[in-house]
Amino acid sequence: MKAKFILPLLFVIALLMVGVPLSAHHGTGVSYDASKPVTLKGVVTEFRYANPHPQLFFDVTDEKGNVVHWSGEFYPNPAQLVQAGWGRKRSEAALTPGTQVTVTVAPARAGGPVGALLKLQNDKGEVIMGVAPGNANASPTPEPTK
Amino acid sequence: MQKRLTLRIAMVLAGALVFTFTAFAQGGRGGILAHNPANDNKPFDKHDLNGVWSRNGSPAGYGGGGTCRDCGDRGYSNDVPPLTPLGQKMFDANKPSYGRNLNSPDAAAHPEEAIGRRRAVPPANGTDPYQSCNPEGIPRALIYPDPIEFTVLKDRVLQQFEWGYQVRTIWTDGRAPVKDPDLPRWWGYATGKWEGDTFVVDTYGFDPRTWVDHYGYPHSADMHLQERYKRTYYDTLELSMTIDDPKVYTKPWVSQLKKFRLIDQPKTIEGWKGLIEDICAPIEDVEEFNKRIRDPAGGIVH
Repeated sequence: MKAKFILPLLFVIALLMVGVPLSAHHGTGVSYDASKPVTLKGVVTEFRYANPHPQLFFDVTDEKGNVVHWSGEFYPNPAQLVQAGWGRKRSEAALTPGTQVTVTVAPARAGGPVGALLKLQNDKGEVIMGVAPGNANASPTPEPTK
Repeated sequence: MQKRLTLRIAMVLAGALVFTFTAFAQGGRGGILAHNPANDNKPFDKHDLNGVWSRNGSPAGYGGGGTCRDCGDRGYSNDVPPLTPLGQKMFDANKPSYGRNLNSPDAAAHPEEAIGRRRAVPPANGTDPYQSCNPEGIPRALIYPDPIEFTVLKDRVLQQFEWGYQVRTIWTDGRAPVKDPDLPRWWGYATGKWEGDTFVVDTYGFDPRTWVDHYGYPHSADMHLQERYKRTYYDTLELSMTIDDPKVYTKPWVSQLKKFRLIDQPKTIEGWKGLIEDICAPIEDVEEFNKRIRDPAGGIVH
């Protein structure tokens, strides 16, 4: 009973803490709804370590074999990622095409297979580029609304 | 017993939540103040502005994000004077992507905030000039909580902004201000002088396409911006500003007091100390991002 109550509360707090950076460096966070996170298992098709925000493209195959091409953006930009120890070489090595990933995204309010990355893990369960709720490396750009 | 324990834990968590929001609402992450009391008696020259200054709330002073706790927030000021009809038209045409989402319950719950802070739209539907990598201009670049390096030379003061990695020149060689230049500049025409212990900067001749702050407040080419800097401690620099732009605002607009922290130890990455090159380039990459991510996220499919 206790766990049933506390765990969702902790999750909400974690979401709210990462929710603050949603209006990130390029004002991009407005497009996404972090209150409705979606977790997907997919395969990396392309990774772009570029301005204004790095981007991850990955395929998600459903139970019927249908493939959906997802696009995701990272909140921090390269200048911020490099400060957090995730430079281009390390990031690209972690996300080569074919890498299996588990991705939690804040989906676009407009709908469609596009979102902002809230959590990113490889098939070993390792967090990639520091993208995990509450992790300062994932969101070094918390921007209050005020 | 179990219910009591659960209740206590819930109260602690709720307290943490309130603290988190309170810290952010004050414009900071909590804990980081502009002035460190350990520097109370550290000697300094009130006329020395050299160094890396930041309004950022993180200990290192880098990374965008929130401001230090008592450094003011991310806008110019919440007390906006009435706009002129032209000013209102310009304000309505500017569609920012910062602040509370337009028409959201969150925006409705904060009527105490100026409307500029409650009208954010997705960047795909916005008009922020920085979306196209145009210069942020002044005073917007001064307000953003990333480091600014001041370099004082014999005849000028340079401000290098990490955000956008751009330089502004404030001339201190005694030249007269250019109040109505033929060609406005993104960073305006700035002159500076000391009045006692206050460094006063007057800037005219702004390109009207820059915004006053993240929230899309406009200005005309006739804006006169006065900045008043005062070093109050070894590690603290205060800034107050006044915008005089009768075409847009019906009376002078005084800023919230902004504070900067001296960053003694600039970030060192791969052995390279100094500002990060946080530059919005190349435009091809930005356009690619817009086409593949920003626009679809805003409901625009190419």
